[in-house]
Amino acid sequence: MKKILAIFLLMFTPMACEAVQEKDLNLEEINAVQTRIDNVGTNILNNNKITRRIVFTYDKRTKKKKLTTDKALTKRQIIIYDGLYNSVQTDDELAALLSREISTVIKSYDGVWGGTIDSIQVALSSKKFETAADKRAVDFMVNTGYNPLALIVYINKTCPQKRFDKFSRHNLTSKRLARIYEYITYKYPQYLENNEYINNKYYQNFLLTSIENRKKLEEKIRYKSYEELKYE
Amino acid sequence: MNKLLFVLLFLILIYPVAGYCENTLPTENADVEIVQTEVLPYNFESTYSVPVKLGIIEPISTKDTLTEGQVIKFKVLQDTYCKRKTILKKDQIITGKIETVITSGMNGFPAEIILGDFEIPNIENSKLLDNYTKKGQNRCFWVYPLKWSLTLIPFVGSLTNLIMGGHAKIKTTDVITIYYFPDWK
Repeated sequence: MKKILAIFLLMFTPMACEAVQEKDLNLEEINAVQTRIDNVGTNILNNNKITRRIVFTYDKRTKKKKLTTDKALTKRQIIIYDGLYNSVQTDDELAALLSREISTVIKSYDGVWGGTIDSIQVALSSKKFETAADKRAVDFMVNTGYNPLALIVYINKTCPQKRFDKFSRHNLTSKRLARIYEYITYKYPQYLENNEYINNKYYQNFLLTSIENRKKLEEKIRYKSYEELKYE
Repeated sequence: MNKLLFVLLFLILIYPVAGYCENTLPTENADVEIVQTEVLPYNFESTYSVPVKLGIIEPISTKDTLTEGQVIKFKVLQDTYCKRKTILKKDQIITGKIETVITSGMNGFPAEIILGDFEIPNIENSKLLDNYTKKGQNRCFWVYPLKWSLTLIPFVGSLTNLIMGGHAKIKTTDVITIYYFPDWK
């Protein structure tokens, strides 16, 4: 019996040690990602002088569980799931992801009952606030010194294109991208004049897939129109 | 045999702890960062602030055509002092920008105007807390209960979609207060 026990122990000792080491390595990786997220996120909060408390949490899961509340609106906690973080390549793109979430969280602080009503409105009327949050995200990025074109690149890489948005709570991704591009064109044209992303293949892909929408914008600029464009 | 077992058990117990220490405890050469040495471009330590009261010169509304980034003129409503020095005189003109416009939506969602990026002569923008938001009338409070009560009759509940929220207006009588923190970096 003792021999069996000894063999058993001998077999599992190295495996147990390896498991512990692997766990430590994972912890180090998670810590590195969390530190990067905290660093960029806090930069955005401080440079925009956002006087509301917001925390950032990295979650190894790929996406949010269904039927869970949006913690950005209830706890003012921005959770970055691994599925979203996987597509982040540069700090500009991480700033894009975080700025977008920060602009949603800020909305949850406004209004009566500690922002409860406004949070419900954001949740119910997502399409309208989605556009507003995208625009605020551009402002936050510019104020922090990040390139707002990264928001276009990041959304272009990560958000799928649905067929319709008439009955959806979200805009078509192509509409979102076109509106962000328009916003940058009017408010921060310097980023398009000295375009650092011109050799970025993801940005070029956006240019390729947005020809029709960009034509509409060019017409609007040419005729100095103030009408809201109906993007596709 | 008992000794061998004892040694093995001892190894099992001690190895993870040793491994953990090796990975997490700082070595002599490792830098332990307690305070960040980087000099930040801001310092929000001071709580001393001077409120600057402003009024818009021409009223604006989301009913009209507003563009994001549009420069708006404001006048200072009263003499403003900081540490016994006059920093702004009454009726002095300063500028700000329309940061974001949110149009009113279905089911009574109100429109919203966000102002910011105020420019005051001789004052750096980094020393200002200068975001101002004005919302239109929020009709969701009665539209949603109405919608839910009408839902009992098929398709009628959807009619409340036609009720739009109120436009956001900034009138000349509205007092816009922004804060100047002279000791901030």
